[in-house]
This record gives sequence, structure tokens and C-alpha cells, in this order.
Amino acid sequence: MSTWANLNLQDSASPLMEQLIFFHDHALLILIMITVLVGYLMFMLFFNNYVNRFLLHGQLIEMIWTILPAIILLFIAFPSLRLLYLLDEINEPSVTLKSIGHQWYWSYEYSDFNNIEFDSYMIPTNELATDGFRLLDVDNRVVLPMNSQIRILVTAADVIHSWTIPALGVKVDGTPGRLNQTNFFINRPGLFYGQCSEICGANHSFMPIVIESVPVNYFIKWISNNNS
Amino acid sequence: MSALRMLPRARPMHLDSSVVMGLRFASGDQTRIMSGDREVVGYGINGRPIYFDSQDCPFPAIRFRELTPEVCAIREKELGDWKKLSLCEKKMLYRHSFCQTYAEFQKFTPDWKLVLGLGLWSLAIGCAITVISKLNLYNDPPETFEEDRRSAQLRRIIQLQMNPITGLSSKWCYERNQWK
Repeated sequence: MSTWANLNLQDSASPLMEQLIFFHDHALLILIMITVLVGYLMFMLFFNNYVNRFLLHGQLIEMIWTILPAIILLFIAFPSLRLLYLLDEINEPSVTLKSIGHQWYWSYEYSDFNNIEFDSYMIPTNELATDGFRLLDVDNRVVLPMNSQIRILVTAADVIHSWTIPALGVKVDGTPGRLNQTNFFINRPGLFYGQCSEICGANHSFMPIVIESVPVNYFIKWISNNNS
Repeated sequence: MSALRMLPRARPMHLDSSVVMGLRFASGDQTRIMSGDREVVGYGINGRPIYFDSQDCPFPAIRFRELTPEVCAIREKELGDWKKLSLCEKKMLYRHSFCQTYAEFQKFTPDWKLVLGLGLWSLAIGCAITVISKLNLYNDPPETFEEDRRSAQLRRIIQLQMNPITGLSSKWCYERNQWK
């Protein structure tokens, strides 16, 4: 989750999020270089005393400062397109999770396993434990196995919601009457937090999502406990 | 062609309504009206009879002042030996053709003091509004902001190994149970 004074993206828990972070760093580096160059040019104008009174055109420099940005944009475009297609790759998920957005809570269904269903409400601040995270902790977390491909189908029961976990690089809108599907892969255990990302009414800020990533054997044990 | 002949030249225009109604105002007429009686002495920056002081274009298209009898007399004297001109006459000739000297129009103006003053006042007013709002308008922060709850949350963040790669947990040494 976000920690205090966090300016960057959260550390990734998914290989796709790693790639997104790499692309973000790459594009930001190019942007910083351009900004420094333009800032330097503007700064040096303060110290310039020369004026060319007869300046009409400069074909060569105009060609250079047209073609060079096009080349720089290619350096951004190719990694971007590579990542775009990487995010759409087909894989075989081992677990399917359904997430339904309501006003104002999420409900989850594990149809693979004897129809496990539960609602996930935010814990109000006045009922929070001493070490609880305000506006983030929920009563029932979504338990998922790590190192497994997970398919999630997101929908909504009333208005549009959006299911997101920044650490996994996942954000899917839940629209009433529609199933949106995405896949993700968690490569480390822990708790991963997210918050509803589509305005859905008065308590839009108070319907968080928490994924508890556990080793596969713990997940199977949890499923068996919930079944019984 | 008759319309072109009706365009005002470099002479004073008496702009009563009968004259204005009869003329078609073209671009450049306003500059000729402003230049008035002043002598055109060159091309200037764009050919229009405009006066301005600039380091880029040292010689404007028109003189700064119109001809007066005193200046005419000195101009006659200028045709002769320049050593016979007194300093006062040279200055009068300069001021007839130009408004300011290089030293005058290149001087650093005190505008920065006003700008700096306004900027600092705005900053001070903004800070004052922030402090007064914090003291009087806003509610107390939630109880999770208290020191013991924050340290409990931090302990939990470290135990859960959140952001362990470059974030908060990466700064904690788990072997020695202390910050790196």
C-alpha cells in the first residue's frame, strides 16, 4: 500500500507491474532530459545580449528540431506498444474470482470452489484496531494463492465501480450488466490494498479492496475451512 | 485611386466628423496620424513612421520632435564646423532627434521592488490564511493520527513487508530488527 510521503508508484507484486514501473521510469527519464534541456535554454536567455535583426528562416535547424523529437517519440512508443501487447497475453488461469461492486461494498464469489461468497465492508474508523489502516482495512479480505494465474471478472450491481490494486497494476471498471475480465499474477505474499476508482455515490471513498496473498497450500486450507 | 489620394500623409489631421466620414481608414494611417509633423529620416524597423528607442534598431524612421525655429537655427549651424557647436546645442540637437540616451533606456528600472513586494505579500497572506484555517476552521485529525497509533501502523507495515523493494520495508534490517 502507499506509505507516508510516497511519491512513486508502489513496489510491484506482479511481473506486469514490474514492467509498468520500468516503462514509467524510462519515459520519465526521457521527459526529464527534455525538461532540463528546455529549462537550460530558457535560463540562458536571461544572460543573452545578442539579437539577430535580420533573422528570416533556418531550414537546417528546423529540420533537426522536427526529426529529433520524432525519433525520441519512437523511443517511447516502442516500449509502450510492447508493454501494451504484453498486458493482453493469453494464459491459463488456475483460479477465477468474481467481484461485484455495490453501494458501498464489494462482494466476491469463488465459483470454482463450491460457491464461496462473501461481502467485504470497510472497517469504520471507530472500530479499527490500534494498528489498523484507516479507510483501507476490511472485515473479509480476498484470499488468493501466490504464484498462480488469477482471472477476475468484475461487474457491479447498481452504479459503475472500479476494482483496482495499484501494487498489481490492475484496474478494471465494474459496469452493471457487463462482465469485465482481466488476469493477474501475484509473486509475493502479503496484503495488497486498493480503493474503488469510479465515483459511485456518497461512500465512494469508503469501499476499499484488500487482497491477502498466501502460498497455495494455505489457500487450499482456507477454501476447505470456508466450505465447511 | 481617388481613395488612395484621400489617405492622410505626414501632416497633422484635423479629425472632425466631416473629414472622418469621407475617408476610408487603412492600415498604417494611425501611425501616420501619430507621427504628425515629424520629419521622416529613414526606414526604421519596418518602414512605418514610428519612433521608439531600442538597442536593436538605433535609428528610428522619424525624429522625436517636430521642427521649431530654435532647432532650425541650430540645424543651420550644424551644416558648418561641428567644433563651433556648444555642448548645450549638441544636446539640443540630440534631444530633437531622439527621446532618450542609451544610458537612459538601458537603465535597470526599480520595477523589481514592486514585483518582489507584491509576491512576498501574496505569500504572507497565503500563509496567514493557511494558519488561521488550521487553527480555527478545520476539525481535529482522526484518532489514527496519534503517535501510538501511527507507530503501531508503522510496525504493522514493516511486519507485512510492504514496499520491500525500494519502499519503506527496504529500509528496515530484519536480522537486527532496526532501521538500516
